[in-house]
Amino acid sequence: MIFVIAEHNNGRPKPITNELLVAAQRVSREFGQPVTAIVLGENTAAVADDLKSRKIDRVIRIDDPNLAQYSPDTYVTALNGLLADEKPFLVIAGHTTQGYDFAPRLAVKLRRPLIAGMVDFEKHGDRLILTRQIFNAKMNMKTAVRGEAPYLATASPGAFPGDEVEGGGNAEVVSYAAQLEGPSTRKVVDRAEAQKGQADLSSAPIIISGGRGLKQKENFQVIFDLAQSIGGSVGASRPVVDAEWLPREYQIGSSGQTVSPRLYIAVGISGAIQHLVGMQTSRCIVAINKDAEAPIFKVAHYGIVDDLFKVLPALTKIFNDLKAGS
Amino acid sequence: MKIISCIKPVPDPASRLVINETKTWIKDQDLTFVASEADNYALEEALRLKEKHGGEVVVISMGGEEAARVLRSGLAMGADRAIHLFDEKFKGADEFAAAEALAEAIRKDGGADLILTGVQSDDLGTGMTGVMLAEFLGIGHATVVVGVEANPDAKTLRAKRELEGGMNETVELPVPALLTIQFGINQPRYASLKGIMAAKKKEMKVLAAADLGLADHQVGRAGAMYEVKEVLIPERKSRVEILTGTPEEAAAKLVEKLRKEAKVL
Ligand SMILES: Cc1cc2nc3c(=O)[nH]c(=O)nc-3n(C[C@H](O)[C@H](O)[C@H](O)COP(=O)(O)OP(=O)(O)OC[C@H]3O[C@@H](n4cnc5c(N)ncnc54)[C@H](O)[C@@H]3O)c2cc1C
Repeated sequence: MIFVIAEHNNGRPKPITNELLVAAQRVSREFGQPVTAIVLGENTAAVADDLKSRKIDRVIRIDDPNLAQYSPDTYVTALNGLLADEKPFLVIAGHTTQGYDFAPRLAVKLRRPLIAGMVDFEKHGDRLILTRQIFNAKMNMKTAVRGEAPYLATASPGAFPGDEVEGGGNAEVVSYAAQLEGPSTRKVVDRAEAQKGQADLSSAPIIISGGRGLKQKENFQVIFDLAQSIGGSVGASRPVVDAEWLPREYQIGSSGQTVSPRLYIAVGISGAIQHLVGMQTSRCIVAINKDAEAPIFKVAHYGIVDDLFKVLPALTKIFNDLKAGS
Repeated sequence: MKIISCIKPVPDPASRLVINETKTWIKDQDLTFVASEADNYALEEALRLKEKHGGEVVVISMGGEEAARVLRSGLAMGADRAIHLFDEKFKGADEFAAAEALAEAIRKDGGADLILTGVQSDDLGTGMTGVMLAEFLGIGHATVVVGVEANPDAKTLRAKRELEGGMNETVELPVPALLTIQFGINQPRYASLKGIMAAKKKEMKVLAAADLGLADHQVGRAGAMYEVKEVLIPERKSRVEILTGTPEEAAAKLVEKLRKEAKVL
């Protein structure tokens, strides 16, 4: 059995849940193990109903008032009991602020392997090999889990295409009663949207984004110059914002804005998965980076492998000349 | 308040990383090691909490000479003392084995009110070790923390977590607790010359596997839950067209492509 820990809100599975199901369905084909979706919450009927149409074997609902809001201790207690009863082969959660918040605790409790941030898998004989990214996506690491099942994995958002989830199923829905000791000791006291600034990039047609490769705040001027010459907006990767070169509202990626412009020019940005999920659906992506192996080139349509401080002024000049000439 | 801040030594981000002969890790013999970036944010947060509430900050790290080096930097930034887990047997530890060793060392040091780690390391980057450490110690935790409000009298603290989609969640949890600190929560200070001088006189306790009461099969590679099969540069299955030439030539080719081929300008 392969368990998928479904994430949901407002009675619907979140998009990551389909990605996890795709991962599970693929592993299922190789290892001949059926897929079960696990839904934890308070009133999970609607989510279970939605999920049962995927091509999976079962949906297990764990309904409990103490699971109404996600918390790591209640999740770990509930899942620990379920895993002891069901003995699955693999448990897949999202590498999300929920998944990586509870899965490591569960792994320690069970003393079983957890491979975090899985992007791919292989079958070697009957052994499961899981691949994850290391050094900010510069390299991949293939790992073989040790010992007996269950094995745990968190799947990187964006690594498995959620729209390829196989449907046409009519899975059995069953309920499981969790043995919780009471409410979580970690209480949610507030949930709010992080402060939003002026820069709404979600509908910008052209974005020039700068990263840590700019080296220091003053150098960001070359990004503004290029943006001005093309008539585009400015964006940034997270380290730029963390270092306070630009306000938080400029950040693009998993913890910033998600954008899909006609043209996205990534300058001095390596292409970590948290950045890619925020911009990879852009129609045309250009990467300017001096490192030919930077993962940003994997999603780019056009690339220039050179020093950005030489390339950007040259580009800006061309656009300014074009403007002057027209 | 006693705060323990965990620091992982990682290759200086400016280094060129080369995969080793056995393809199981990088060649790390000639590299310079620094504290993993997120751990700097964690230590800065620890120092600020101490400045506000009093107490002490202890830095802890596992590894060879490189760990001693990042601990000395932590002491120079302002930590009061250091614990160095130093033993050949710790080599090859995964997140699980590292967390178990750290947990034993922290227990041996009498525990702490608050334990901080970076949200994830610059090398493995999985964000697991801190959360595992909390489970080994049987204390609560919160991940991806962008704000901390301690309340030492009430024995609770509030942590603001950064969720996906621009949402934040504030949670309250009892202390002792462990928090994994997100990049950008503060602006880490640099060590002053005075700090560097003062660090030389601060205590650095060295602990080996035997001091922690851990058996050989629990530490290092033997204690790891997975085996590294291969480290590789992923194949670029991509559509990218690299434009070559001098910067001016490449720029001109790019503009041409964007206008005539991609038609996005
Ligand atoms: C929970 C969490 C959430 C996150 N959310 C986000 C997010 O929303 N958005 C985000 O962007 N990141 C996010 N990150 C961080 C992410 O993991 C990466 O660390 C970050 O994206 C790296 O930014 P970068 O590419 O600018 O820097 P680096 O990875 O340091 O890359 C700099 C690049 O610049 C190139 N370069 C350097 N000098 C030059 C030069 N002179 N000319 C040309 N190229 C040069 C280098 O080759 C390198 O590829 C998050 C991380 C975590 C843990």
